[in-house]
Amino acid sequence: MSTMRLAGYADKFSVHPGETIKFFVNCDGPENFDADIVQMIHGDTNPRGPGFIEKEVPGAFKGTVTGARQMIHGGSYGFVNDAKALNPESFTLQCWVWPTAPKTHPRYWKHGPQGLVTKWSGDQGYGLFINERGCAELRINGEKLTTELPLRDHAWHFLAATFDAATGAAVLYHEPQVMYALDPVIAPVTRTLSGPLINAPVPLAFAAYVEALDDGALARSSMPAGVVFAGKYNGKLDSPRLCNRALTRLEIETMKQGAQPGLTERRNSGPTSDLAKCLVGAWEFSEGINTLMLKDCGPYRLDGRLVNCPTRALTGYNWDGTVFDWTKAPTQYGAIHFHDDDVDDARWEVSFEWQVPVDAKSRFYAAKLTTSDNDEDYIPFWVVPELGKQQSKIAVMVPTISYMAYANEHVASNAGGAELFVYRVPIMQHQNMFLAEHREYGGSIYDTHTDGSGICLSSRLRPILSIRPKYDHFLAQAPWQYPADLHLVYWLETMGYDYDVFTDEDVSYEGLARLEPYNVVITGSHPEHNTGTQLEALHNYTERGGRLMYMGADGWYWVHSYHPGYEDLGRGVVTEMRRCESGIRTWRADPGEYYHQGTGELGGMWRFRGRYLHSVAGTGMSSEGFDISSWYSRTPDSNDPRVSWAFEGIDYDEKLGNFGLVGGGAAGLELDIVDTMLGSPPHTLTVATSAGRHTEAYLLVMEDFGFNQQGTDGTSHPRVRSDIAFHETPNGGACFAFSSIAFCGSLPWNNGDNNVSRLVKNVLDRFSMDGPLPAPSPDAVQYRGRADYDAPEDRHRRR
Amino acid sequence: MISIPAKGTLERDALIAEHRRCVDSMKGVAGFSVLYCATPGDTTDVSGGIHEFPVLRRVLLRMRGESPAGKLVVVCTKIEEQWRIARLSGVRGVPPTFVNDVVYDNEQEIQHDIFLMRLDELPADAGMPEHFHDGWKRKDDNWPIT
Repeated sequence: MSTMRLAGYADKFSVHPGETIKFFVNCDGPENFDADIVQMIHGDTNPRGPGFIEKEVPGAFKGTVTGARQMIHGGSYGFVNDAKALNPESFTLQCWVWPTAPKTHPRYWKHGPQGLVTKWSGDQGYGLFINERGCAELRINGEKLTTELPLRDHAWHFLAATFDAATGAAVLYHEPQVMYALDPVIAPVTRTLSGPLINAPVPLAFAAYVEALDDGALARSSMPAGVVFAGKYNGKLDSPRLCNRALTRLEIETMKQGAQPGLTERRNSGPTSDLAKCLVGAWEFSEGINTLMLKDCGPYRLDGRLVNCPTRALTGYNWDGTVFDWTKAPTQYGAIHFHDDDVDDARWEVSFEWQVPVDAKSRFYAAKLTTSDNDEDYIPFWVVPELGKQQSKIAVMVPTISYMAYANEHVASNAGGAELFVYRVPIMQHQNMFLAEHREYGGSIYDTHTDGSGICLSSRLRPILSIRPKYDHFLAQAPWQYPADLHLVYWLETMGYDYDVFTDEDVSYEGLARLEPYNVVITGSHPEHNTGTQLEALHNYTERGGRLMYMGADGWYWVHSYHPGYEDLGRGVVTEMRRCESGIRTWRADPGEYYHQGTGELGGMWRFRGRYLHSVAGTGMSSEGFDISSWYSRTPDSNDPRVSWAFEGIDYDEKLGNFGLVGGGAAGLELDIVDTMLGSPPHTLTVATSAGRHTEAYLLVMEDFGFNQQGTDGTSHPRVRSDIAFHETPNGGACFAFSSIAFCGSLPWNNGDNNVSRLVKNVLDRFSMDGPLPAPSPDAVQYRGRADYDAPEDRHRRR
Repeated sequence: MISIPAKGTLERDALIAEHRRCVDSMKGVAGFSVLYCATPGDTTDVSGGIHEFPVLRRVLLRMRGESPAGKLVVVCTKIEEQWRIARLSGVRGVPPTFVNDVVYDNEQEIQHDIFLMRLDELPADAGMPEHFHDGWKRKDDNWPIT
């Protein structure tokens, strides 16, 4: 099986002509690799389609590059640079912990001790750990003091450890917050150690310990560079404190309050005068939740830095269940949840770079990497015109937030329910096999972390093996997201259209300015994940006469925000999303944890923020199923003169899209419908539907019903269908919604000579014309109610 | 729960025959379901399989809902050319392992062999009280629900 010895990423998704894009490559084996910049045309290898197509880019980067092994220093942690105050003779360490995997399977990828608060390395220093048996452990130099009982997972515990250099006495306290009836009493563990404490010249680490200081591949990708952290902790950590003497248990209790400056007229750190003398650090994770900083409120200002973006804005040990928004009561949100598979930036060294020529065409590109040993990888990117320098009247909006949400997804190998929703045995590609072993490449927002908690953050600064051509996703047994959007690109190229491309990132940051130069904007097959500014830009665009072609389904669904802590590395580096109380969720956020750590906004579905999905392009998610696809029939609405132009050359009774490279038909995977009660404008025309043709694998979305019941699958429920729909927007604009993720997979069929292609061409030709679209006839102007569409009573029944 | 039809019974043979018929008809489709395509490789008109054979449908649901630990999965070992059967480890960070050396040249055909292997592996009364174990006390990713 392939070991994926060659893989990489770029510093940007979208690059302007004239700018330089950098590529970071792991080449683990061969001495060299070849790199070519190519244009991506078609990524689907299915023999029933046109096959894989790439195009040379004359004059672009092409050459042999010296390879180097590059590794990901994965797993989140925090560190504080070494300082004199962090090297005491005696000490007290204390913190709250909520471990999620204190005991791990012996074959678990990181089975072993986990660091909590440590200034320990190579049998020097001190630190609080969870050992490989799940017990709390104090380490002083090479000696270990361990509790007898393992920590309960998913429960808060207070841990403290003291060491008195004068006597050698060490005490370790483990105090669960909740005691059950049959829990044994856990007494403090005491022992006299030989001492003295030999301090280690390493940073103080939270949720890890320093394993080595070197210049190897792992250390080079660490932060700080040269320091290898190991023992990454899985779980929450809250309110760590460090004092430079052994406190009594009562003093430890008082010290829980932290630095407490300003209780009275005094402004010194320390809850009491005695404790003010010995306080070294009191870190309050409840401060700077939307940053990567760890704030120390103690006298030395030993602020720390987070690495690999652990999850913040999570409930702390003192959360009381009356506040659900961390911005309203941050002190109840002093917990950080660290994971051993978090990654925010692979931090690799640059392998090569390319200055994009000023006259480069805006298109889908990739750096094609190959070796003489048949290794191969593609690093996709997009050349995007600078604002005001558009090259075409047509634009494709590449759903890069959705690509990030699905980045390096593990569902086929981890989720028990995966087979029940794909309705067949999943097929894993070599990328999935590699990721199943290399959790340090991080997961997708569809996955759970290695400790079972949901992944709500995704970075683009890592090799994303799912954003690749020649990659079939287990959900579709066909291309999904990036390679599926290449079906559209192939079609645009084959039909001879000129077009620009830009990404979700560009629209999120630039708003209407990014959209308004174009007569028509075309989406990808599955633009599911969106920022608020992106949705606003789309509404502003269609309101002002812009034309939107929504080429897929399940769009405009989840609330996303870019984490502000990464702006120094570029735009849109880390995206965040929380899976709250409804919607299709592969995991569910815990109570009180619905608000984004980066922006403080409420996460979840846009629908539950009052932004109905159907309002963006006319249709919204109704159902999903992943086995096979179906096809459309025209409806009487398609003969309405407002839209009949779209069906020129297509007979009324033609089977529309009963072919395709995704599920065998144009209506498949995830399906959207018209619903005037959920945001479809009342004048929307439903021009074709796939009603009644879906399999039982297709199920109604859960946000559409409140009571579990039978009869919600494609063989029985009338809303399990896809509707192709059209509506006009003000000022000569319009939306055409094709409403199925599989839809674009039919475009390349028969090299683009088919009725789906004909329909899309008719729409695109009209939508790309200059000026406002022709006004409909005056009799189409009517005032319509949302609920005007009652079904005629018993119309279809025979009596 | 429905019992898995025992080996050598006519009922089991009928399930296998219908599954076989569906798999053969699905060859060429960019997707898969245990349904019969009236025109081979064309999903315009599908019938049979899970839609018309209730026992087959429920047996497949039982199989699909098994825990990931030891669950059979397909691995594509050469794009569009080769597929093999593997087992999931159920442990994070431990990749699937191949169960044998058989290489399939068709991504649908392999579905049928996995169906046969599962018929042999799954006890007729799986999921009944006599199979109770401590894992029933908690929900995790290993339950057949996401």
